[in-house]
Amino acid sequence: MEQDALLELRDITKQFDGKTVLNGLSLTLYPGMVVGLLGANGAGKSTLMRVALGIVAADSGNVRILNESPMALSAKTKATIGYVAQQPFGYEGFSVAQALSLHRSFYPNWDQALEQDWLQRFDLDGKTAVQKLSIGQRQSLALIMAMAYRPKLLLLDEPVASLDPVARRRFMADLFDLALESGSAVLFSSHITSDLERVASHVALMKNGELMLMRELDELREQLRIVTLGHDSLPELPSSVSVLAHKGRTLLIDGYQGEVIADAQSCLPLNLEQLFMELHP
Amino acid sequence: MLELLHVNPSSGEPIYRQLTEQIIHLIVGGQLPTDTVLPSVRQIAAHLSVNPMTVSRAIQQLVDQGWLERRRGQATRVAANTPKTTASPEALLAPQLADVLANARQLGLSLSQLQVLLAAQWQQLDSDEK
Repeated sequence: MEQDALLELRDITKQFDGKTVLNGLSLTLYPGMVVGLLGANGAGKSTLMRVALGIVAADSGNVRILNESPMALSAKTKATIGYVAQQPFGYEGFSVAQALSLHRSFYPNWDQALEQDWLQRFDLDGKTAVQKLSIGQRQSLALIMAMAYRPKLLLLDEPVASLDPVARRRFMADLFDLALESGSAVLFSSHITSDLERVASHVALMKNGELMLMRELDELREQLRIVTLGHDSLPELPSSVSVLAHKGRTLLIDGYQGEVIADAQSCLPLNLEQLFMELHP
Repeated sequence: MLELLHVNPSSGEPIYRQLTEQIIHLIVGGQLPTDTVLPSVRQIAAHLSVNPMTVSRAIQQLVDQGWLERRRGQATRVAANTPKTTASPEALLAPQLADVLANARQLGLSLSQLQVLLAAQWQQLDSDEK
């Protein structure tokens, strides 16, 4: 791609209490990308986002976020980054309207019409006290707070888990608008693979602090196959093909280009949920 | 025509390909006659709740293959001269037939056994319709 990266992580390593959480991880986000981050609990997804934002420092490796170091972000750049953490979030004692008013004051590009639009859509009443909101409503409010200024870079940590399917779909349409019209990039983690299948342009798959795959979703669907073999032993494979997992007669391959796989009884595409299951036996 | 389009994002098959196949089938099947105006990429994407880039890719591919045409500043329409060679029933059925064959072989069926099964299904369908 010719455009400048909006987020670049290089060889990031991070340990907590002697336990490696991120292990040599590299990831780059360009404008227009909607990257679905998939991984088991504890794979390091949240830590990755926190390192990207400078909330925690990496032990080694290099991070550039909107061409600045996350540990020394300018106020101007901060106002173009959106983040929704897994556990929101303060503003106790505020009403929804008061919380938004305070939040709005930090962002010069805040779009008031968009805020109103989303309040209505998520069925949030400005007069309600923040601590009386349900988890799903809090999540909606957090999304409004992170997106109403059309950030260049949006990091969402499990943003939609508590939203109902209709709200999730609408929210996803907003993600597209943001990514495509404003040239922003979105990184969002979710366990709801059916959402990822719809929304993501790319999928990043993490396991044990490492990035196993980072690929365009359509490419992944074309090049990944689950093969049932006639025997337990690994047959000779075409040179383009690499093995992601092999257990008994089940083989997970990457780089498939329509070749004949020897000893295969079936050779089928798989969806993200199947892929996830196969990689976490 | 939006209601004619469906995708299954979890099928493992690229969404753009599901869309191109469906639109071609609709054109060949006559549901989308020449000059039918297609909804915009945004409308299709919103209707299906999929990434607009995916829809855009499908439409572009159909334009490149001559199924659709896009004149400057105008909506995308079904082209007047759709590619006849790839529009044969044989070509359109080929992928599903390949799947059936692969399954049949995996189950150890011979060609004649498969033909018997196919004929039986065909007759079943005929009698169901009567």
